[in-house]
Amino acid sequence: MKNLQYILCSLIILLFTFSACKKDEVETTYGQFSLNFDNVVGSDELVITAEADHTFPYSNQMSQTFNVQMLGYYISRIELTGPNGAYYEDEVTTGPTSDEVNGFYHVLESDISTQLVTLEKVPTGTYNQVTFTLGVEADYVQQGATGGVLDPANGGWLWNWDAGYIGWGYEGRSPESPAVAGTFNPDNSIKAHIGGWKEIAGNAAMTNNVQRITLDFPSTADVSAGGNPRAHIVMDLLKALDGHHGIDFSSTYAIHTPAAGTDIAHNLKTAFEVDHIHL
Amino acid sequence: MLFQSTYTRHLTIFVGSLVSLIYFTACQDDNLRKKDNPYEFVAPDNFPVPTYTFYNNKVTEEGFKLGKKIFFDPILSIDGSVSCSSCHNQSLAFADIPLHTVSVGIDGLVGIRNAPSLANLAFMREFFWDGGVTHLDFVPINAIESPVEMGEDIATVVAKIKNDTEYSALFEAAFNTTEINMPLLMDALAQFMLLMVSDNSKYDAYLKGTETLTAQELKGLQLFDQKCESCHSGILFTNQDYFNNGIDSVFSDSGRATISANPLDIGKFKVPTLRNIAVTAPYMHNAKFRTLEDVLNHYDNGLIPSNSLAPSLVQANGDLGIPLSTEEKAAIIAFLETLTDYEFLNNPIFFKD
Repeated sequence: MKNLQYILCSLIILLFTFSACKKDEVETTYGQFSLNFDNVVGSDELVITAEADHTFPYSNQMSQTFNVQMLGYYISRIELTGPNGAYYEDEVTTGPTSDEVNGFYHVLESDISTQLVTLEKVPTGTYNQVTFTLGVEADYVQQGATGGVLDPANGGWLWNWDAGYIGWGYEGRSPESPAVAGTFNPDNSIKAHIGGWKEIAGNAAMTNNVQRITLDFPSTADVSAGGNPRAHIVMDLLKALDGHHGIDFSSTYAIHTPAAGTDIAHNLKTAFEVDHIHL
Repeated sequence: MLFQSTYTRHLTIFVGSLVSLIYFTACQDDNLRKKDNPYEFVAPDNFPVPTYTFYNNKVTEEGFKLGKKIFFDPILSIDGSVSCSSCHNQSLAFADIPLHTVSVGIDGLVGIRNAPSLANLAFMREFFWDGGVTHLDFVPINAIESPVEMGEDIATVVAKIKNDTEYSALFEAAFNTTEINMPLLMDALAQFMLLMVSDNSKYDAYLKGTETLTAQELKGLQLFDQKCESCHSGILFTNQDYFNNGIDSVFSDSGRATISANPLDIGKFKVPTLRNIAVTAPYMHNAKFRTLEDVLNHYDNGLIPSNSLAPSLVQANGDLGIPLSTEEKAAIIAFLETLTDYEFLNNPIFFKD
């Protein structure tokens, strides 16, 4: 009996010792990692043209001039991966109050503070790839009304009639866009709202325009404790408008349905790249 | 001693009876689906699994009552003239009055579609005649922002509610936060709508064995099962699919195709529930028919052919429609009238405070 007690005691002590050891072994250190979203038009910086100002600083592959009055997009479900197994997954949560909403970023050209996404608690290590969702995926739409950057009363881009979020949006003008009274383009305007997340069984016409995008870094980024390397991500509006499916502003100027947005959605797959890493 | 033991025995019997009473009461309550708390959502046993995300918006008394206040409040409309209750009357199963074939919004403007009744929304996969909305939370914003319904921007609605002193305490009581925003507004409205469970019609009592149907109603049920049930199926009386039922051959309202972008869906609309159908005239997405007789006459001999017409409405010989005799129509209507849930139409929890 005494022996049994002795053995049990030793076992318990041993167990605790090993648990403690194991904990020491897997303890992870963390740093930060930032994504800096920079919108460009080909080789030019993207500059917003005021609504009253009818100048057209850019031109597309069809030599149609245009300007930009508004540009933005949702980035969500960010992941970082490294060549040696380093991995970070940004926490994504939803709920009605803004505190409950995490992992969704509404990048707006008009608001510089939205263009820098800082990821906290990234495990230290070497990273060479980022993956993110452009738009808001079905699982999150189906949570119902959501707060924070997804709240339409707070600037969130919610489509009500085909409920879901506009994942990417561009508005501007082009002299090529006709002025048709009573339509979405009263004054040579271009409005491209790319949304749509549904996949309807047996319906090829219905497309899910939400894109999952993976970008390689041009060089590796080491996250160290207390460090904060930054990936400079460029989104090229020309690639979104030209790309594989060129957009002709004389015929395509009012995109307000999922089906009408499929060409740009396709182009957007290749409109982003990591230009460089700031260490 | 003797007194004491008698007393104890009596007490035992008394307590025993009390326990059995409570026990049996509880049992009976279960059978009748009565709830101790009228503000608790309980799915009827014979209903499908709810589609609503209760895990992020549980119905509470405070949330329900806030939702009710919003439902009756014309603050939602741009000029303070239209509330949800303007077009959704409880006594009509939350449909609009028959005089309004399509509903009347701000400035007397009219829409293009018939306001539906509201019942059993917790069990529906998609909403509106075209099914464009896939979550109950996103339903009310459509009426609020529609230029012919309430004509108001959701951001302005939230700002108006934030400025209303009565609402701040109610939101805090319902959601335990000082934040007032669109999702909390929609959660409150959803809580009000989620308790609109209609499961106590004469037909439901018949299923439970507590009431009998007349011979005419039973004949109607039999005919309904043969001729209508393939679309108006199950306990919700809808298969929640989309069909063109021959209302038109040219569609100014594309219906389901508006959402699906599929030309084959032009002219298809959601199969509506038939619960409380006798009190929700007029009928069809465009309110084409004023009475159930008109509806059955349409299915019998009024179908208009077009490319997307539901195959189930084409007979083997190529004729259109579902042949029905006058007697059969009368019997089917007698059955449909058993789907009216008077308890639901008169449930005081939905009354304006």
